[in-house]
Amino acid sequence: MRNLALQFRDFFVSLRLTIGLLALGLVLIFWATLKQADLGVWGVQQKFFYSLFVLVKLPGSDLALPVFPGGYFIGGMLFLNLAAAHLHRFRLTWRKIGIWLTHAGLVLLLAGGFLTSLFQKEFELSLDEGQTKNYSESNRDCELAVVDTTDPQVDHVVAIPEGILAAGDPVQHPALPFRVVSKGYFPNAALQMRRDAPGAPPSQATAGMGTQLALTPLAVTYKEDERNMPAAYVELDGPDGSLGTFLVSTELGMPQHFDYAGRSWKIALRFERRYLPFSVTLLKFSHDIYPGTDIPRNFSSRLRLATPGAGQREVLIYMNNPLRAAGLTFYQQSFANEDHTSILQVVHNPSWTLPYVACTTITLGLLVQFGFHLVGFFGKRRRAEVAP
Amino acid sequence: MGLRRQVLAALALAAAPLLLSGCREEKVTEYTVPKEKDPELPAAGTGGPAGGDQPSAPGGAMAGAAVPTASGASLTWTAPPSWEPGPGSPMRKASFAVPGAGGSADLSVTAFPGDVGGELANINRWRGQVGLPPLPEEGLPGAAERFQANGLSFAVVDLASSQGPKRLLGAIVPFGDGTWFFKLIGPDPVVSSQKQAFLDFLKTVKPASAQ
Repeated sequence: MRNLALQFRDFFVSLRLTIGLLALGLVLIFWATLKQADLGVWGVQQKFFYSLFVLVKLPGSDLALPVFPGGYFIGGMLFLNLAAAHLHRFRLTWRKIGIWLTHAGLVLLLAGGFLTSLFQKEFELSLDEGQTKNYSESNRDCELAVVDTTDPQVDHVVAIPEGILAAGDPVQHPALPFRVVSKGYFPNAALQMRRDAPGAPPSQATAGMGTQLALTPLAVTYKEDERNMPAAYVELDGPDGSLGTFLVSTELGMPQHFDYAGRSWKIALRFERRYLPFSVTLLKFSHDIYPGTDIPRNFSSRLRLATPGAGQREVLIYMNNPLRAAGLTFYQQSFANEDHTSILQVVHNPSWTLPYVACTTITLGLLVQFGFHLVGFFGKRRRAEVAP
Repeated sequence: MGLRRQVLAALALAAAPLLLSGCREEKVTEYTVPKEKDPELPAAGTGGPAGGDQPSAPGGAMAGAAVPTASGASLTWTAPPSWEPGPGSPMRKASFAVPGAGGSADLSVTAFPGDVGGELANINRWRGQVGLPPLPEEGLPGAAERFQANGLSFAVVDLASSQGPKRLLGAIVPFGDGTWFFKLIGPDPVVSSQKQAFLDFLKTVKPASAQ
């Protein structure tokens, strides 16, 4: 038993493991870079880096086999290797403090990457000049919004993530007088007017616009310039029976209205929203170019942030100068509509400070380490000069 | 540090990521927001390149994808025989190639749910397509010629810019739960020569049930 444990430890603290893992990482990055042509950045990230193993489907079947360690595996093993070697080999002495700091920084960097992969959420905030919004939208994830619009002042929203629709789990929420039952979920689909698609099978929808529409499931796209348009059939199930099955899709662009239990409702599948604690107005978008050329020099958005009860302020976001507010970072990402629409990327990353802390720690560690050597070197030289 | 402790520490480190990855679970959320208006399909000024008549769905509809059109009851019409019916598309209820002096103009019939942003927004969208500046709200009453036919209300605009070669005749017709748009756009001489035919054509438009 002790022998086995020893072997186990020797494996995890060995430098060979480090080299092996780095080599595997090299191959993984190279392979992923090639695959980016088919899968796009997001697809590659999910398949190669945010996974324990790279899965490849056997030709002609749905069975996927792990064929190569993924980013989580290699990163996790490196993390273990580094931590184990550190615990086992290094002694905490002042002379080794530089090495300690450097390794602690590396461990932080790995941990930061892992936490980012888990918790970072990216949203988009697209504003026309003069437009005000108090939410940003995901450019990938969707949600089913069931909204009680009875109150003339406010809307009560129940948002159901698409993952729950895809899993087919019925949702019984205390704010809703009916159950929401997913009858079919399509990660990407096209809609057509039924009269333009005479051969389409009968619609599953029994209420709303869906009765007029024909749905064609499409393959999920990973391309940078295309967007998946998910759709779902959703049945609303009241205590007295079904209210009907609605066809919802991000392609519809507007919600479907109905009345039930003396209240007014609307239902829509939309890109997941993240409401902000303030409203943002785009005052001006500028697209500066170098004089006499079409080469962009700068993109910037002048915004007004208004927090209810706390006044307002103006901010300017430009390349490499994001706005950080309310735990979110707003970057200038893109623009549209002949320079009248600005698209900001809104990132929520609770661990955004970790890479900075990690790099500072590593730098400090290296400075200390080389500092000790330098002092030692000068000391030796001085002694050599003094010697006869 | 003893060997057993080292092994235990390594195992604990290995288990941490697995525990953390459980935090990604999706949850139903509930919140209250200030009243929101439903999105208006073709927002004024955001008509796509070349001023296409496809409303830009929020979130950016894919090119060529179907767009929700008004459902329910339909309108019918009788077009002059010289107008050549064009290929349909998911967005268009009908289209015609309208021949005239030295060329041909494009007539499209589209329909969308709701009021599609209102008359002013749509007139301004059309003004943008022929290079005219948008009208302020006070300009709306005089902006369109109005008449009734077959129980329908027509608001007709005739738009041309002195700078541009194009002329646009457009009619906005609220019907049922939606709004129908009849648009003739093309070279100024062609559209001008077909103006009367276009107005006569509009007077043949009627609800499908009233045949």
